[in-house]
Amino acid sequence: MSSLRRFLLVSVLSALMLVNFIAALHGYRSSMVEAENLFDQKLTAMAVQLSSVPLRTTNNAPAPDDENMVFQLFNQDGKLVWHSVHAPDQYIAANEGFSENNFNGYRWRTLSYFNFVNGHRIMIAERVDLRYQLAESVILQSIVPVVLVLPVAGLLIWLIIGHGLKSLAILAGILRRKAADDLSAVDVGHAPDELMPVIDSVNSLLRRLTASFDRERRFSADAAHELRTPISAIKMHLHNLRDEYGKDDESLLNLDRDVDRLAHLVEQMLLLHRTTPDHYPAKFEPISLAALTREIIADRYTDFVSKDQSIELFGDDGEVNGDRFALGILIQNLLNNAYKYTQQGGAIQVKIDTLKNAVRLMVIDNGPGISAEAQARVFERFYRVGGDRHSSGVSGCGLGLSIVEHIAELHNARISMANGEDNTGLVVSVEFPLATSTIELKRSITLTGYGERK
Amino acid sequence: MLLTSVIIVIREVLEAALLVSILLSLCFQLGIERSWFKWGLLGGIAGSIGLGSQLGYISNWFDGVGQEVIDAGLQIFIYICLLYICVQFINHFYKRHPLTNVLRATLIIIISCAMTREGSEIYIYLSAFQSLPETGVSLYSGSAIGLGIGFSCCALFYYWLLSFSPSRALLVSCALLTMVASGMMLQAGKMLIQADLLPDGQLWDSNSLLPEDGLTGQLLYALAGYEATPAPAQLIMYSLSAACMATVMLLRYNSWRKQKVAEEIS
Repeated sequence: MSSLRRFLLVSVLSALMLVNFIAALHGYRSSMVEAENLFDQKLTAMAVQLSSVPLRTTNNAPAPDDENMVFQLFNQDGKLVWHSVHAPDQYIAANEGFSENNFNGYRWRTLSYFNFVNGHRIMIAERVDLRYQLAESVILQSIVPVVLVLPVAGLLIWLIIGHGLKSLAILAGILRRKAADDLSAVDVGHAPDELMPVIDSVNSLLRRLTASFDRERRFSADAAHELRTPISAIKMHLHNLRDEYGKDDESLLNLDRDVDRLAHLVEQMLLLHRTTPDHYPAKFEPISLAALTREIIADRYTDFVSKDQSIELFGDDGEVNGDRFALGILIQNLLNNAYKYTQQGGAIQVKIDTLKNAVRLMVIDNGPGISAEAQARVFERFYRVGGDRHSSGVSGCGLGLSIVEHIAELHNARISMANGEDNTGLVVSVEFPLATSTIELKRSITLTGYGERK
Repeated sequence: MLLTSVIIVIREVLEAALLVSILLSLCFQLGIERSWFKWGLLGGIAGSIGLGSQLGYISNWFDGVGQEVIDAGLQIFIYICLLYICVQFINHFYKRHPLTNVLRATLIIIISCAMTREGSEIYIYLSAFQSLPETGVSLYSGSAIGLGIGFSCCALFYYWLLSFSPSRALLVSCALLTMVASGMMLQAGKMLIQADLLPDGQLWDSNSLLPEDGLTGQLLYALAGYEATPAPAQLIMYSLSAACMATVMLLRYNSWRKQKVAEEIS
């Protein structure tokens, strides 16, 4: 069933309607029988009264009547001595007691009654259709409300079920609105006993999740310390070894390069872990993408110069609501990729456009570009185009774009990749929503403890 | 008048509503979308008013037995459609696919035809008595009660069918549809007897055991075409149509079973 409320309404109302209507029909039939008995009793009483009326032997004037009831009065000799206007001249009924007969174009309920005191016989008859109509009109007064009240019952059942399911709706609302990083216990207020096991299970799950995330955060912090410290020590020893064996020793140069690569891999892994949108403690503020990019380009300018690459920033100021640290990482990783994979003397451009509902950051290079199949996979962790045998020969760990994707997701931004003009180079676009309301401001937890990377 | 209205309306509503509830529940169980229902409902309402208002004219067809022939034709047509639908449901159970236009159209036609047949009779009954002022309250109260009981039975029946697992729901629903479809053929036989196209007769009279006009009798009439005094021709039509439908479905079912076993082996 698709809706619990609809199921309860339809099934409860159907059961109620079925039982009520069958009861009403049963009541109707019993009441009709009872009404028939009452009418018969009335006929009997009238017959007794009329048979006792003292009459002349003959020539009694016909009694005025309506067309609904007729009577005949016969004397001891069986002679019709008095009758109502519309009564026939012959015996209406042949037998003693109640019977049904046809005359005057109708069916009649007839009582033939013999008075043993004066020897008179009275035959009194009442139209069956009128008796039925009268009885039915009285009984219908109690049946009609049963029918009319059903819409009201339906409305009441709908409201009552809605009230009964309110706790469920509140729980669903709380869970729906819960931020990804909000692992606090769920409190529904006065929840019914039937819902308590569900709430307890949800809270227990949240507690386990909190503990799990705490363990993971602790691991992250510990790993950062435990891994960075020995790497720094190795670098120091390497420096001493270079002094001892000479700076041109090939093995030491290779070792130096590998240690740098290891340090970079550790930093990237920690960064990837930290920027996971589910538990990144972002602090959103208005940020000028152009100013931030300019800062990063200035920091990295010597790298671009070392490869004779030109770097150009143009376009709008591009103000977005975002986390400064995370956005810095995003731009840095995109520029780093462009720097690494663009050939010596290549050109890199950063373009910032303000669109109707978004701010678009584009990093354009005239490097070798990547195939469409590779474009679909570059955001996968540890994926590198061409693996470690990439034509550029530069080292990397394949985590840079995964981090970029995390940060874009954190900012509700859309990231896309395409080949450049004339099918050369690569264009990476990140579109940030303009309105501040689209950003999850609820994530405005301070960066204390996490923002130490500088 | 109230009881008469109740019996007439229950008799007509139960039959169409039972068919609707079986088809709707089976579609839900098999994951078939149910947008066809509203079109079938609209078609049924339009058909009821159309047929009901033109029945006087239609009755004069075929030498004065137009109503009986049209009624029998509708029943036989619904039977054929139900036979097709049951086979399609079995196919769908073993190999899910989106609702095809042919299947959707067949479902709409079944609902429209079933509602047209039953609805037109209610329309004629109500329009014949509504002009009498003394019967108004009992006529409409009786109709409302009949409608309510009919819908209640079918709503509860619908949810009862939903409580089965899909495989059991298919089995139960196909069995029920066979009974409903064969019951329609029984009624078609009755109409053809009234039109003097089939010989009349009476095999037995079970009114004393199970009166036709009681609630149980009405339910059985709607579900399996219960007749207290069936004619031999009706019984033959009922048996043949039930056997034909059951055989076709069993053959289709066995064919799928064999196919599944072959797939498992390979």
